[in-house]
Amino acid sequence: MGAPGQSLQGEEAAMSKAKRRRRELRAAGLLTAPFLFVFLIFFLYPTYKVIALSFTDAPLIGDGQWIGLANYAKLLNDRLFFTSLWNNLYFVLLTVVPTTVIALLIALAVSKLKGRMQALVLTLFFLPYVLPVSVVTLIWAWMLDFQFGILQPLIAAVTGKPVPVFRNPYWVMPMIAVVTIWWTNGFNVLLLIAGLRNIPEDLYEAASLDGATPWQRFWRVTWPLLWPVTALVLTLQLILQLKLFDQVYLLSNGGPFNSSYVVLMQMYREAFQLNNGGYASAIAMVLFLVIVIVSVLQFQLLRIGGRK
Amino acid sequence: MKATGVHLKSVKKNFGAVDVIRGVDMDIERGQFAVFVGPSGCGKSTLLRMIAGLEETSDGEIFIGDRDVTNEDPADRGVAMVFQSYALYPHLSVYENMAFSLRLAKRPKAEIDGKVREAAGILQLAEHLEKKPAQLSGGQRQRVAIGRAIVRAPDVFLFDEPLSNLDAELRVQMRLELARLHQKLGATMIYVTHDQVEAMTLADTIFVLQGGHVQQSGAPLDLYDDPSNRFVAGFIGSPSMNFFSATIEDRSEDGVVVRLTGQPDLTLDVPLSQPPSKGASVELGVRPEHLIVSQSEGLRVTVDVAEELGGVSYQHGTLEGGDAVIFQQAGVRHGMHGTVQTVTPEPGRVFVFDTEGERIR
Repeated sequence: MGAPGQSLQGEEAAMSKAKRRRRELRAAGLLTAPFLFVFLIFFLYPTYKVIALSFTDAPLIGDGQWIGLANYAKLLNDRLFFTSLWNNLYFVLLTVVPTTVIALLIALAVSKLKGRMQALVLTLFFLPYVLPVSVVTLIWAWMLDFQFGILQPLIAAVTGKPVPVFRNPYWVMPMIAVVTIWWTNGFNVLLLIAGLRNIPEDLYEAASLDGATPWQRFWRVTWPLLWPVTALVLTLQLILQLKLFDQVYLLSNGGPFNSSYVVLMQMYREAFQLNNGGYASAIAMVLFLVIVIVSVLQFQLLRIGGRK
Repeated sequence: MKATGVHLKSVKKNFGAVDVIRGVDMDIERGQFAVFVGPSGCGKSTLLRMIAGLEETSDGEIFIGDRDVTNEDPADRGVAMVFQSYALYPHLSVYENMAFSLRLAKRPKAEIDGKVREAAGILQLAEHLEKKPAQLSGGQRQRVAIGRAIVRAPDVFLFDEPLSNLDAELRVQMRLELARLHQKLGATMIYVTHDQVEAMTLADTIFVLQGGHVQQSGAPLDLYDDPSNRFVAGFIGSPSMNFFSATIEDRSEDGVVVRLTGQPDLTLDVPLSQPPSKGASVELGVRPEHLIVSQSEGLRVTVDVAEELGGVSYQHGTLEGGDAVIFQQAGVRHGMHGTVQTVTPEPGRVFVFDTEGERIR
């Protein structure tokens, strides 16, 4: 009598186990469905379309002929593309490391403050990040206006005469870099402050008992322990700054003499002004690959640097 | 007199309007193992951090050896500290953690290597020198923290609750190792703990702190046998002392006769050299091991919980009035749970305190 009863129980247990598993799968499906839906429709499908488009001569709207790698071949002989790419890299050089260094200095200073004062100062530094890009560029266009800008006397004091910065090929990129750093720096400060708060206070106490000067405390405790966050900030900045478009579009429109022309600007012009959907897609694909390669390379390099 | 050790002269500390240390004098001789013990918030850690130089001293003077270090930087005081959290540098190996202070001082490589390996040998860390702190167990991390202190060869070692993050078994083991280390190094050590068992087992001198004052200091057993007030009597000893309120019934030849409140049929003779006047209210303290089970007159205790530890057992119960009582039984296994027992204090083992909590001798 016992044996059949037991096997029946065993079957029931297996049934309920299967049932529980099905229920879990259903819940998992329900919870991930909204994201999957949005991801497929608004990200994966457009990505596929861009890749497909880059092998055709399609206009912006409507289908085109398959032309293989012709768009990419054309890109290799496009001098404006290489100018743009170079300007992009120049901009990265002007922003990524400087903004990280400035953010680190600000974060170190702010973390010395206490309580409300710290919150207030942090808010002040974060405020520009909240502004939309059009407002940011308007503020700076006014401040740097050739005739009425309040910063022109400062420029005149250094160079001897006022400079129309967004119409001068030597000034335009560095000035856009300054505007960008002012705009986005608050976020980096926030990340680094969070990193600094993660370093326990007693490590500094132990270091000061061990005889470390403030300078040694920074280089031997703060810097190595903050490095993962610093590497993250550097990588995020690299990706962000390679995607430069709005500030240039609003402040200098790529000029003068294409000295602030960047890759996304060229893509924008080909797609929306010259109606070359296929060629614009090829440009987008190349920029995408550049960003992936450079950022992965940088992150790996930084990790190796951190481990040493 | 002042040539060695650590000496505090009316040291005070306040955080804003809050007085944490309210005037502490102490003399810790060279080579002594001193323990600061007290409940949390009594200021013991603050006092240690003031000796280390991690907290500023509001008033008074701190001497290490014959140097006044009150306003010196932590690094110049000749002290090394072991933190409760160990405070190991997580990005450095065990070796580099221990070598840190010597590297900062730019000592020659051979000297650093010699000192680190010697300390690692003492602490059985030789096989772990290349590991990062995260790869070590709690006890090993604790040893690295001690090693970092040893390498600096300080005049004074400071320990801030170093064992409280370890599990019970490891705590006992590390306690022994610390005692052996102290014998081997012979250096002055100051140790902060809230655990009075650690204090009793490690200390040459215990300083009991409460409310920013030193309540009593002395050798562990002196504090146990001869507490100077009710707080020390209750704090030192585990399980803690029983307290009963009582009134002075009469004076006898060499002391007083007291009657316990709510116990009309029991009077006790207590020898006192300065007996209080008749009718005064006092508090009596009796340790659990000095309450003897008897068949005659005594305190009737209803035992509700019996903690049987094998060798000894602690019987927890209540008097008829509701006061809690603990008494200890050794070497017997009675199963007293749920029974009513009669206990009497061992003669001569009753402490008398006045209503302020001060001891009446």
